[in-house]
Amino acid sequence: MKKRLLCALLALSLLTLPGCKRAPEPVEVTAFAMDTVIQLTAYDGNTGGTRAVLGGLTDRLAELDSQLSATREDSFVYAVNHAGGEWVEVPDSAVLALLHDALSLCETTGGALDITAYPAVKAWGFTGEERQIPSDSELAELAEKIDYTAVALSDWAGERHRGGAALPQGMEMDLGAVAKGFAGDLLAGEMRDVGITSALLDLGQSTIVAVGSKPGGKPWRIGVVDPARPGSYFAVVELEDMAMGTSGGYQRYFEEDGITYWHILDPDTAAPARSGLSSVTVVSPSALTCDGLSTALFVMGLEEGAQFWRDHPELDFEVVFVTETGEIYRTAGLEGCFSLAEGYEDREVVVLE
Amino acid sequence: MKTRVILFLLLAAVAVSAAFLLFGNQNPRTPVARITRDGVLLEEIDLDKVDVPRSFVLEDESGSNTVAVEKGRIRVSKADCPDQICANQGWISDGAVPIICLPHKLMIEIVGGGGELDGGAG
Repeated sequence: MKKRLLCALLALSLLTLPGCKRAPEPVEVTAFAMDTVIQLTAYDGNTGGTRAVLGGLTDRLAELDSQLSATREDSFVYAVNHAGGEWVEVPDSAVLALLHDALSLCETTGGALDITAYPAVKAWGFTGEERQIPSDSELAELAEKIDYTAVALSDWAGERHRGGAALPQGMEMDLGAVAKGFAGDLLAGEMRDVGITSALLDLGQSTIVAVGSKPGGKPWRIGVVDPARPGSYFAVVELEDMAMGTSGGYQRYFEEDGITYWHILDPDTAAPARSGLSSVTVVSPSALTCDGLSTALFVMGLEEGAQFWRDHPELDFEVVFVTETGEIYRTAGLEGCFSLAEGYEDREVVVLE
Repeated sequence: MKTRVILFLLLAAVAVSAAFLLFGNQNPRTPVARITRDGVLLEEIDLDKVDVPRSFVLEDESGSNTVAVEKGRIRVSKADCPDQICANQGWISDGAVPIICLPHKLMIEIVGGGGELDGGAG
């Protein structure tokens, strides 16, 4: 009898053993690149291997940064900006692909996204040093120099094998609005290639990429910052193999004489885009789309932005708009993965169809 | 006698593994501010245990940031960086949005606290 009891208990304890297996521990790495903090978190049983993979990815980020930075004098972008109209060979095919994708977004958005706004960004001082307000005549002059159609791309530039880019003298480009999204797609792809099935890539908050779901199969829950109170979030978006990107006037700005000037410039005026929006969040499988469109839709404003969403189902994206008066609009496709955050439950959300 | 000892040990093992199952995987419930510079941990502050508000200065060759803590929240109150993004952000009290001073590679994030979110965008 006693033996039987013992056997039963032994069997029971063996049964509970598998339950002791803990959820996989996250492997996290932090990197400072692309003017921001980048955090990669991956869940995988193989901690040592995953750490090595993430280390390799941060090296890749640093490499991309060194190619795409507009301020680093050894970068490809800097070289194009200072080549006086001459062709500059691309460092690798990924950069050429990024340029193609970026220019295609510029075209699709009718120039609401324009990668040649860099002289204006510099004139406002958003590149890091002193902020200043350019005069109206300066702005008019700067706006004339913003024109993405002047960027020349060649898959075969003369004797060059990898292709190249060229920009007329006096014009400068900056891939800041798309580089993080591009990097996010690239890194997520490399993670999937090595078999990582659960990871979250945070590229300076403005761009988030979810690889798979959380360990256990639930979607990643990402808060969206309240532009009126940037210390808290007003909504939660659930992501699974999906990216999101946010552009907001609160992210980088300065105030003078009671007026707020933010870093998102309208390519038509070379001045901060005042479309009545305070933030735009885009959700799409492509982080590059999220990144580039969040900027473009911010420039367009609510009405034009909503129409753009209706007109471009092929881009496969959804949007959350917040107006300067605090109204919240979201597109219909977010049904089921969008909810208001704690403390915001009583806010009205208008669903765009 | 021997059987009894074994029985006791087995029961104890079952109890321990049950306890692990019940309590082992829970996150710490109190919010802890973790301050890092370039990924290196400088300080961890249990925000629920801050009874008296205080502030302190974090300094290195890149510059200085004055950090203020109160019960349940933390902020950068002063900084000598050019963009002032860290100081403009104000108080944080949950894991949604960390404070980041990019020029000084300083990051203040809140872990624990039972926030149900995996990240924040904005």
